[in-house]
Amino acid sequence: MSSERKRHVIPGEVITSGPYRAEQNTVQVGENIVSTIVGLSDVHDGSVRVIPLTGGYVPKDDDLVIGKIVSHSSLSWTADINSCYVGMLPASDVFGRDYSSSSDDMTAKLAKGDLIAARIVNFDKTRDPLITISGRELGKIDSGELVKISPNKVPRLIGKRGSMIQMIESSTNSQVTIGQNGLLVVSSDDPNGLLKAIQAIELIEEQAHVANLTDQVKEMLESKSE
Amino acid sequence: MSDGLIIDQLKRNQILDLLKEGKRVDGREFDESRQLTIDLNVIPKAEGSARARLGDTEVVAGVKIQPERPFPDTGDKGMLICTAEILPIAHPSAETGPPTPDVVELARVTDRGIRESGMLDMKQLVLEKDKSVIGIFCDNAVTDHDGNLFDACSYASTAAINSCKIPKYEMQDDAPVKVEDQFTEPPVTTLPVSVTMAKIGEYILVDPTIDEWSIMDARITITTNSDGNVVALQKGGHDGFTAEELIKCSEMSIKAGAKIREIIKQTK
Repeated sequence: MSSERKRHVIPGEVITSGPYRAEQNTVQVGENIVSTIVGLSDVHDGSVRVIPLTGGYVPKDDDLVIGKIVSHSSLSWTADINSCYVGMLPASDVFGRDYSSSSDDMTAKLAKGDLIAARIVNFDKTRDPLITISGRELGKIDSGELVKISPNKVPRLIGKRGSMIQMIESSTNSQVTIGQNGLLVVSSDDPNGLLKAIQAIELIEEQAHVANLTDQVKEMLESKSE
Repeated sequence: MSDGLIIDQLKRNQILDLLKEGKRVDGREFDESRQLTIDLNVIPKAEGSARARLGDTEVVAGVKIQPERPFPDTGDKGMLICTAEILPIAHPSAETGPPTPDVVELARVTDRGIRESGMLDMKQLVLEKDKSVIGIFCDNAVTDHDGNLFDACSYASTAAINSCKIPKYEMQDDAPVKVEDQFTEPPVTTLPVSVTMAKIGEYILVDPTIDEWSIMDARITITTNSDGNVVALQKGGHDGFTAEELIKCSEMSIKAGAKIREIIKQTK
């Protein structure tokens, strides 16, 4: 089926009318399909959706996020995950099932200000998301540079099947841990590579809405990497 | 304010590692303030106003002037009151509602610097002794918070008061009456400039950013006047300063303050 060119839309704007399915960030009003957010409309295969250009992070099950420990009670830590919701990390996730609030010292494992790579285990919008740090590539982050971008631009940073981020990683010799909540940790042994990677990420954040971004980033990465 | 802010461990280590090499995260010298720019008369309806930008910290100060009944013990002096408020747009941690202790401190330190320096000759602001005096109210609104609000508020207030126009009042039947379209210059005698320094470990940094602010052990705000004399001082944080450190801080505040004073002078 034909697909229309992407268009900038604002809330309330009619994207199209006719026999289309209203998908992400759109509603059907009579015949018309109307956007509910600021973004790029995408009419494709009989469905209409809007790719957001702004907005915060809403947790989703199985998302990898980067969080900052802000406090703890006797049973769980609270992590700032760059969202209107805070992440709840139960103490038993770190200490195991036989956790005892009297004998185990929670701050010895994770203190205020520590950064963690975590996964959203369970979230249903009625209570704060449950997160875990047990698993591959999860846990406390000890080194690297924290970079914050808009959560909406994370898919653009990753690129199709990870093409964009792989390009950045390989050409700057760095490793990037991407949280779906817009927080990234960039680490590299080479300080120039680290700076370059951060510059590339900032470029993507700034230019996420334009076409042929990949070429621009490629040019930028090659330009100063003699 | 930012005292309750939690900085992530990576940033903290980065700042501490750089300090050991004698550097700061934004590349400044230890005794160097951020770039200060001041725009005057940003509020058309106020008698005086200024917007001060100290790096990414931004404060708007407005001066309102009106006749007041003097306090019983200071019937021969005008009235000066400085307030401060952190607007919710300034920082995610800022909330509306009654002022927190940090904000109360901010207002008091700003007020004290101007008051104790004797910036204005208050005796010239009397309309009739014990009956009516001119009241100068300087309100500071923090619109962007990147640390060191003390100094930003001090600079904005000083610039706003320094450039204000005092409407002329005359006493008629024991009541002050405004004389339309007649203004006088404020009786400015000196320009107070506050300089806040943060102590992180053994290092003392002038004009800390919000990141440096959130990891500092102690802070001290020293206000100096145009003659380079210390006129007010406020210390905060849980750590202390040694006698040598205090001397060093006061020297730094005089040196850094002189540069700032020139900027405030030039913007009039």
